[in-house]
Amino acid sequence: MSQPFFTVKDLVVDYGGVRAIGGVQLELQKGEIRGLIGPNGAGKSTFIDAVTGRRIPTAGQVTLGGEDITRLPVVARRMRGLSRSFQRTSIFAEMPVLEQVFLASHQAQARDPEADALAILDELDLAQYVDWRAGELGYGQQRRLDLALALVGSPSVLLLDEPMAGLTVTESRELADHLTRLARERAVTVLLVEHDMEIVFGISDAVTVLELGRLLAEGTPDQVRANPKVREAYLGSAA
Amino acid sequence: MLGISIFNGLVYGSLLIICASGLAMIYGLRRVVNFAHGALYMLGAYIGYSLSLHLNFWFALLLAPLVMLLLGMLLDKLVFHPLQERDPLSVLLVTFGLLLVLEDLVRATWGRASLSIEVPELLAGSVDLFGNPTPLYRLAVIGLGVGSMVALWAWLRFARTGLYVRAASTDPLTTAMMGVNTERVNALVVGIGTALAGLAGVAAAPLLSLAPSMGADVLVDSFVVVVIGGLGSLGGALISAFLLGQVQSFGTIYLPSLSAVLPFLMMIAILIWRPSGLAGNRV
Amino acid sequence: MVHFKYLLWLAAGVLLPQLLGSATLMSLLTQAVIYALFALGVGILLRQCGLVSFGHAAFFGGAGYLVALLMRDLELAAGGAILLTLLALALVGFLLGLVVSRIPGIAFGMLTLAIGQTVYLSALKSRGLLGGADGLNIHWPAGIFGLDVKLFYDPASMFVISWVVMLVVIYLLDRLFRTRFGSITCAIRDNEERARFIGLHVTLPKATVYAISAVVSGLAGILSAIYTGFISPETLHWSVSGMALIMTILGGVRALWGPILGAIFYFFVKEYVGELTDYWMAMLGAVVIVIVVFAPNGISGLIEPLLSRKQELSRKQELSRKKELSRKQKPRQSVIVNRVEVRS
Repeated sequence: MSQPFFTVKDLVVDYGGVRAIGGVQLELQKGEIRGLIGPNGAGKSTFIDAVTGRRIPTAGQVTLGGEDITRLPVVARRMRGLSRSFQRTSIFAEMPVLEQVFLASHQAQARDPEADALAILDELDLAQYVDWRAGELGYGQQRRLDLALALVGSPSVLLLDEPMAGLTVTESRELADHLTRLARERAVTVLLVEHDMEIVFGISDAVTVLELGRLLAEGTPDQVRANPKVREAYLGSAA
Repeated sequence: MLGISIFNGLVYGSLLIICASGLAMIYGLRRVVNFAHGALYMLGAYIGYSLSLHLNFWFALLLAPLVMLLLGMLLDKLVFHPLQERDPLSVLLVTFGLLLVLEDLVRATWGRASLSIEVPELLAGSVDLFGNPTPLYRLAVIGLGVGSMVALWAWLRFARTGLYVRAASTDPLTTAMMGVNTERVNALVVGIGTALAGLAGVAAAPLLSLAPSMGADVLVDSFVVVVIGGLGSLGGALISAFLLGQVQSFGTIYLPSLSAVLPFLMMIAILIWRPSGLAGNRV
Repeated sequence: MVHFKYLLWLAAGVLLPQLLGSATLMSLLTQAVIYALFALGVGILLRQCGLVSFGHAAFFGGAGYLVALLMRDLELAAGGAILLTLLALALVGFLLGLVVSRIPGIAFGMLTLAIGQTVYLSALKSRGLLGGADGLNIHWPAGIFGLDVKLFYDPASMFVISWVVMLVVIYLLDRLFRTRFGSITCAIRDNEERARFIGLHVTLPKATVYAISAVVSGLAGILSAIYTGFISPETLHWSVSGMALIMTILGGVRALWGPILGAIFYFFVKEYVGELTDYWMAMLGAVVIVIVVFAPNGISGLIEPLLSRKQELSRKQELSRKKELSRKQKPRQSVIVNRVEVRS
C-alpha cells in the first residue's frame, strides 16, 4: 500500500469538560471511500468538524498529502482540496442556485467554474433550479445543493456528513454512484458519515465505527458487519 | 474634593445600576436590546412628576414604578411576545420606533418645557459626612440603588419565581417543558425591568430636570454599563455602573475631555475583545 | 437599456426644480437627497453584510469636520480637501472595518454606537480644534471643483448637484454589486460559515463594504457641510445615525434605491405631517414599527413587485413549480430499517 493521503492521528476533542473524541486514528488512501458509522452521539459530526477546522481539536494531528493541516484556517484547507458538506443544511438562502455553486467552484479554482457548476447541478438533478433562490427550494433540493457546494472544484478529500438524509431512495443511489465514480475515476478520497447502512456498506472500501468518541472497529465492510462488538453497540442503541 | 467626587460618582452609579439592571434583565430573558428603555426611564420620571404634584413624592416613588410594571407587562404581551420568533435586529428596530412614539407621547402630555420635582422635605437637608456637608437626598439615592440591587438579588436567588427566571434565562425550552409558565415569567421580568427604569426615573427627577430627551443619555450609558458588565449578568452590571459613575465623576475634575469617552473606549475594547459577552446568559 | 434608465432619472432630476419652482419644496428635496445618500451608505452595509450600524454619523459629520480642517489649517483648495477626505474615510473605514465587521449582529450595533459616541464626545470636548459644542463655520472658497459656490447654496441648483452625485453613486454601486464582489458579499452575509467552507475570505470583503459605506456617508456629509456652510457635533450624535437607519429601514434595502425612497418619505412626513401635528416623530415611529413587523423589505419591497410584472409572472411560475415538486418529495428512509441490515 502507498503512503496514506489523508491521515488523522490521536485526535482528541473536548468541549465543556466532556471528551467528545478520545484519541481517534484514521488513514485514508487516495481514491478510497471510507464509511464512518456509529450510533447517535458517537462523535461522527464532531470528528468531521475537528478535521475540517470548524472546531479546534484539543490534541492530535491532521495531514493532507503529507502536509500538517491541523491548525490551518478553513479557507486554506479548502484551497488544498479539503471539502465538506453539512449535516444541517448550510447553503446561501438568498442567492440563486447557480450563482452560489459557481462561486464555490470559482473559489476552488476550477478551470471553467460555470461548466463545473452546471455539471454538478445536472448530476444532482438541480439543473432546472439554477435561477431559484436557494431559500425557495424544497428540503431535498436544499440537501443536494449543500452537497453541490462541496462537490464542485474537484476536491481531493470529501467529508460528507449524512449526505443521503432527505434524499429519495433513487437520489441516494445516484449519489452513491456519483461518489463511486469520483473515487474510481478522479481518485477523490471520500469520508462518508451516513445512517443508510445499505449504501455505506455497499460503496465503502473500508468502514470505521465510532462509539462514544472512540474507535470501536475498522475493516472491510464484511469484517465490520461480522464484528460482534459492532453488533452489540448497534443492538444496544437500537433497543 | 476627592470625597465629593467619589460620592457623586456613587449617586450617578446608583441611578445607572437601577436603570441598567432593568435593561440587562430584559435582555437576559427576552434577548431584546430595548432601545425604548431610556424612554421608559423618562416616562417613569414624568409619571412620578404628576403623582408627586397631586399626591406627594413618596407616593410617586411607590406608584410610578407600579404603573411602569404594568406597562412593561403590556409591552411584553403586545410587542416582545408576538415578535419572539423574529431576529433580534428586527425587535431592536421595533423598540427604536417605540422610543420615538414614547418621546412624542410625553411631549404631548407634559409639554416640551423642562420640569422638576422638589426634593421631599424629609430629605431636604444635609448631613456631615467625613467633614463634608452631604445632601441627604443624594445619600438616599445611593441607599435606593443598593437596596434595590439587594432586593433583586435576593429575589433571583431565593424566591421561587426568581429561580424560574434564572432557569428560563439559561434554557427557555427546557424550563417550559418542566412545566414553568415561561410566558408569565417573561411578562413579569419585562415588567420588573420596566419598573426599574421607572424607579430610576423618579429617583433622578429631583436631581436632574425633566425633559423628553432625558432618556437618550441614560439609554446609552445603560448600554455601556450592561456591555462592560456583560449583557445579561447582574453582578457585572453592578460593578460597571459604579465604575462608570466614578470614571465620569473623577474625569470631570481631572481629565475633562478623556473622561467622557473613557467608558465608550472600554465598551469598544470589550466588544472587540470579547463580543461573546453579549451572549452571556445568566441573569 | 440600463444606462437609458439612468439618463431618464438624470433628466427628471434636472427638470424637477424648473417644474416645481417652490423654494421651500426644493430646499426640502435637497435635504432629502443629501440624507438619502447618507441612508444609502448605511443601507449598503445592511444590504451586503447584514450589519446594522448605529455609528455612521461619525462618517457623515466627521467628513464635514475633516474638510473644514484641511481647508482651514492646511489651506488646501476645496476640491483637494474633499478628495483627500474621501480618501481618508476609505482608509479609516477599511481599517476600522477589518476590526469591527468581525463582530456579529447586536454586538456590532453596540460597537458602532460606542465608536460613534466616542467621536461625538471628542468633537464636543475639543473646543480649540473643533469649536466644541458650537461647531465650525466653514469658509468655502468662491469655487468648488470649478463650480461657483453660490450654486451650492441655492436649493434649486444644489438639488441638481446632489441628485447627480446620488445617481452616480447608485450607478457605481449597482455595477459593483453585480460583479463577483457582490456575489461574495452576499454569500458571506447569508451564511458566513459556509462561505469560509467554500473558500471565501470573509473579513476583507466585509471591511471593503464598510469602507464603501463610510465613503458614501461621508460624501453625504460633505454635501451637507457645503449646503449649510456649517458643521456641529450634533451631526455626529448617535441619534443622527439612528435617523439614517430609520430612513434605510423605511425604504428597505433589497433595492439600492430603497434608502433613497426612505429618506424622501422621512422628509415628507417631517414637512407635511409636521404641519398637521407637532408629533410627526411618533407617527414616524409607528410607521417604522409597522414596516419592520409587516413589511421587512420596506417601502421599496412593497413597490418593487408592482414595478415589474415580468418578475411577478416568473414568481408565479416558480411557485407552481415548487408545489409540483413538494408533492414529489418522499420521506427519507427509516434509520431503524437500515440498522437491521447490520444485524443480518
